[in-house]
Amino acid sequence: MAVQGDAVEVAGPYDRAKALSAFKAGDIAFYWITRACAISVLLILGGIILSLIIGAWPAMKQYGFAFLWTQRWAPSADPPVLGALGPMYGTLVTSFIAMLVAIPVGLGIAIFLTELCPQWLRRPIGIAIELLAGIPSIIYGMWGFFVLGPFLAYTFQPFMISLFDGVPVLGSIFAGPPSYLSVFNASLILSIMVLPFITAISVDVFKTVPPVLKEAAYGVGCTTWEVVRNVVIPYTRVGVIGGIMLALGRALGETMAVTFIIGNSFRISSSIFAPGTTISAAIASEFAESDGLHQSALMLLGLLLFVLTFFVLAAARLMLMRLEKKAGK
Amino acid sequence: MNPTYARRRRKDIIVRWLCVGAAGFGVTWLALILLTLLFNGVKGLNLEVFTQNTPPPGANEGGLLNAITGSIIMTAIGVGVGAPLGLFAGTYLAEYGRNDRLTSVIRFINDILLSAPSIIIGLFVYGIVVVPMRSFSALAGSLALAVIVIPVVLRTTEDMLSLVPNPLREAASALGLPRSLVIRRIAYRAARSGLITGMLLATARVAGETAPLLFTALSDQFFSLNLTKTMANLPVTINNFVQSPYVYWKQLAWTGALIITFAVLALNIGARILGAERTAK
Amino acid sequence: MNDVTAAASVPPSRSPLPMATHAASYMEPPAKVTAHGLNFYYNDHHALKNINLTLGTNRVTAFIGPSGCGKSTLLRTFNRMYDLYPGQRATGQLMLDQTNILDPKLDLNLLRARVGMVFQKPTPFPMTIYENIAFGIRLYEKISRSEMDGRVEKALRSGALWNEVKDKLNASGLSLSGGQQQRLCIARTVAVRPEVILFDEPCSALDPISTAKIEELIQELAENYTIAIVTHNMQQAARVSDKTAFMYLGELIEFDDTNKIFTAPNDRRTQDYITGRFG
Repeated sequence: MAVQGDAVEVAGPYDRAKALSAFKAGDIAFYWITRACAISVLLILGGIILSLIIGAWPAMKQYGFAFLWTQRWAPSADPPVLGALGPMYGTLVTSFIAMLVAIPVGLGIAIFLTELCPQWLRRPIGIAIELLAGIPSIIYGMWGFFVLGPFLAYTFQPFMISLFDGVPVLGSIFAGPPSYLSVFNASLILSIMVLPFITAISVDVFKTVPPVLKEAAYGVGCTTWEVVRNVVIPYTRVGVIGGIMLALGRALGETMAVTFIIGNSFRISSSIFAPGTTISAAIASEFAESDGLHQSALMLLGLLLFVLTFFVLAAARLMLMRLEKKAGK
Repeated sequence: MNPTYARRRRKDIIVRWLCVGAAGFGVTWLALILLTLLFNGVKGLNLEVFTQNTPPPGANEGGLLNAITGSIIMTAIGVGVGAPLGLFAGTYLAEYGRNDRLTSVIRFINDILLSAPSIIIGLFVYGIVVVPMRSFSALAGSLALAVIVIPVVLRTTEDMLSLVPNPLREAASALGLPRSLVIRRIAYRAARSGLITGMLLATARVAGETAPLLFTALSDQFFSLNLTKTMANLPVTINNFVQSPYVYWKQLAWTGALIITFAVLALNIGARILGAERTAK
Repeated sequence: MNDVTAAASVPPSRSPLPMATHAASYMEPPAKVTAHGLNFYYNDHHALKNINLTLGTNRVTAFIGPSGCGKSTLLRTFNRMYDLYPGQRATGQLMLDQTNILDPKLDLNLLRARVGMVFQKPTPFPMTIYENIAFGIRLYEKISRSEMDGRVEKALRSGALWNEVKDKLNASGLSLSGGQQQRLCIARTVAVRPEVILFDEPCSALDPISTAKIEELIQELAENYTIAIVTHNMQQAARVSDKTAFMYLGELIEFDDTNKIFTAPNDRRTQDYITGRFG
């Protein structure tokens, strides 16, 4: 069929059908490939849970629930006596202190970036804060060990001890010999590491506040702080809490930086300047050389950590999703 | 000035300065960390670092060639495996499954994987690769990195494809394009810089990862291209060297840290510039 | 193919001036698209109610009516564009020549190759001007580079764009002005040689000069293609179309010669709408 030059040039439907049927198989294949890849995400999560449970099974059978409140960690005893209390305590305490520092600072930076900062400074500072999140965690560990550690041990801690000496509870929190390796050092490093997450999400959710709301508040003579306090924060509360939970999830699971500077001691000390350990630090420092029941107990620790972070992160995501709905996407 | 207003104003000013202080605090940390790295790392930065392998304990010459090579290989395989998977999965979420229940479940799970502790990923890969193979291997390390890459790429792919305007898809469909070609030829192209941004960010994320390599790829002293054996890599080498008593090893660790940090930050900044170009259009 | 060439010999009857009288009697063209008892639903919302009409071969049919009356919805059933979205379905009969458009087993891509569409906002693909045209052609035909060059030029000429872009075929389609982009989209649609072209408010995002160019183009295209155009602009409908359909609240109120609709409508609502009493 020579339609060349023909004014109408309607291609016969036949050759089109042939051309299109060549695509058909690829079209269907592409659909199933993308679907399979999407489902693989579920398989990965299932695989993680399953492999942790299988690995942890011997330890679960051996120690049962007592694993949760046993403080002693003696892998070379016969039979090994292993308990998760030390690492769990360390994980919670470091994350708690980290959040105590990171929440006000992170929110402060977010308020600065959205309400106070001159336009030209916004991007550079925003990028600097986000780059903090890009620095590999091992670098934080080194920095904490070689720079922050000495400062805390020889300047900050003596100062705190002299300040609270003799005060009943506070005195013992800051007591102890100076050391680069301490729970407090790890917490402080953690707080810097999670700072960008809190700031980034808060900036994002602060931007969802309809300008009219803020303008209305400024219109009745509110100061910047009053607008933030009474309009921005109430409006975005769920999102801000979601961001904080997300940061908490990070803090709970952070490994390398903490492993470097926490000292890997399974003993629970009342002083935050004493060494301790966290779940992830315990796994990182012992797993490669472990076997048998010891390895299984580390897997069980991993399972505990995963369950813990799973719930924190799930709560964070649910809160952020609620805010997205409110903002109408 | 009336006293109530004066008090309100004072409070406002205090809070403003606290916020400025917080921003200063954040920026100061970044500056301090980078300066420390430069100060300690530049001293050891020379050609040897890139041409010689890691030295044995106590030796006074050697570089990081094997570790850098290993890191590049494992990162490349990790991204090479994880990025297409994440890309296709994100494509499904954004293109085929927009109104699917499955999609919201996958999106939720993916967001959790995105922030899951990387050491858990290491344990997972140890269980499914290292144990069956009965040996630590570069392959296991690469797969662990791939598992970390997937959620990052999936998330950005979905976000970027959602930004492609629907009329563009309709216009392509109106020409008689099969759905897969609408996606591959039109939607991907329209979202290209965003998709590349996602992959760069994922690369940056895994290039500095240490925890999942600790008991998958392990690390060693030798130059090796064998994927079924342990392979030297920069993060774990830094980790081992910096805690050693040998001065030369420590120096190498700082230099390695400098290299890896600036590589990662360069990837981050590159990704951001590319992302900004997209929004500027 | 036969009926198309036959219809092409029917002399065009559109008049160059607005509201001018059309020739009172000419041969009714053979039907290209026929709707019979067509209904459309967005989930539970009944958006089109019992539509009956025919699009004459190589004629321009305009659809007018207030926003939300279903005219765009109707247009989107002609190439099953609604199939991209869940919850939307059509019932009744809708034929393109002998093909049942609503047949669930119908190859949609083939249908859409036969029924092209131009959208409200210009939608150039993110590629060069040349590629924007060649892309669609390459889907169906394997042709040599020189043949392709010829086809691209031809398509751009029929989009009245050739003279403006012939020196920058490798520039991005996005670098053109809005009106040029829209003509590029028309050229792209023409390049795959459809039988019907649907225009969904093609000028609503354009300035008056670009609009005039596109209207002129639509009239030229009607020599070879069956055209349906949705428009908000009644003068535009009067200028470019042979037949006009007035729709209101999902119903086809009146469908007649354009001339008749704008001078002596039968229905009160049509009268009210074209005189600007609502809409």
